[in-house]
Amino acid sequence: MSALRRQWLWPIVLAAATVFGLLAALIGEGGVWRTLSWGALAVPLVTIAVGLARMRRGPLAAAEASSDRHR
Amino acid sequence: MTRRVVRAWVWLHRWSSLICTLFALLLCLTGLPLIFKDELGPDLKLAATTAPPGSASVDSMIARVLAARPGEVVPYLFYDREHPILKVPTAASMTADPASFHYQVFDTRTGLQIEIPQPNEGFLYVMTRLHLDLFGGVPGTLFLGFMGLLLVVAIVSGVVLYGPFTRRLAFGVVRTDGSRWRTWLDLHNLLGIVTLAWFGVVSFTGVINTLAAPIELAWQANQLVEMAAQAKPAEIEGQRASTDAVLRDVRAAVPGMNVMTVAFPGTPFATPSHVAIFLTGNTPITSRILKPALADASTGQVVSVRDMPWYATALFMSQPLHFGDYGGLPLKIIWALLDIATIVVLISGLYLWWAKRPQRGADAEAGSPAS
Repeated sequence: MSALRRQWLWPIVLAAATVFGLLAALIGEGGVWRTLSWGALAVPLVTIAVGLARMRRGPLAAAEASSDRHR
Repeated sequence: MTRRVVRAWVWLHRWSSLICTLFALLLCLTGLPLIFKDELGPDLKLAATTAPPGSASVDSMIARVLAARPGEVVPYLFYDREHPILKVPTAASMTADPASFHYQVFDTRTGLQIEIPQPNEGFLYVMTRLHLDLFGGVPGTLFLGFMGLLLVVAIVSGVVLYGPFTRRLAFGVVRTDGSRWRTWLDLHNLLGIVTLAWFGVVSFTGVINTLAAPIELAWQANQLVEMAAQAKPAEIEGQRASTDAVLRDVRAAVPGMNVMTVAFPGTPFATPSHVAIFLTGNTPITSRILKPALADASTGQVVSVRDMPWYATALFMSQPLHFGDYGGLPLKIIWALLDIATIVVLISGLYLWWAKRPQRGADAEAGSPAS
């Protein structure tokens, strides 16, 4: 995977999940579309939670996560 | 990206953000309780009844309203999307400022009056006005729209900068082993990129919402005039069709839709000799798109029904996407959490600028972009 792709993969996935979640409840008429909307919009929130949890575990976890980091 | 290009984007991001940050913070903070407007609003204490919504006489409600407020007029009728209630405002004149309206609320099934506080006072009203126009009317709204536009510029330039600023990091890493500034930069980047699409959509639709007044003016000047010209008004001296008859006629003429708002002759949304009725559909989208109908004020006959123009539809579509009120309580909670995340983005952005201010130019920090 190229560096550019690795860097932008997650942002694109998150944006796509958000847009899908926003439109699912609006265009889909209730029912399962609402649940899908909640699920898709929870993706960015979960991402924040994971990021904060990793941060609290300290620099070690952060260093593991960024294998190609220049120090 | 060359160093010069990055610097130009940094400049754009810094200044577009700095100018609008205070107002963006205000909008995020006042918007937070507004997400739960329905939940925080007054308890309607609706009685249990088998009567279908809309079965009580609207004319008798209007008569009661006017008897309680002698000397005033009823410019509009407002139905509710969620509840079987009718809000009947009274004012000194047909063209009075809506902020001066006095409201009386009725159950549309039983015709009984419901005692609730005036919607234009209290905590939620103050939050609404601060969010909508800073108590400054249309100029205030347009000013906030301009701030929103700067916020959109800040979001776009922020995404552009996300590239060079996080190139050496795995996604979502917040470094805690360096300076506090760097930790906050990583947090700013993480929260910013994660909430990007939501914040972008809410900001952009908010900007469109600030154009409501010009959009209404355009509709009044073009479409309303054309609709009124479709049939010569009967203008029978002193005769005014009953509102119940008008509502019955328009419901028959436009089946499957609900009446949301009625504008009486003399208001800016009707003509001197027509009643304007605004209808909506039943799905999440169509319940937001108003369809206007005009009825002759003397005979009550429906003379014109037509869809709103594209620019009005754009306004209607941008409302749910800004309010987040179309997917139940879980969507509202998600809206609130994302709003809180963006508040952190705004405050951390302000901190990043403030903390770096004295030594700007000598940014040998680890977080600065590689060229």
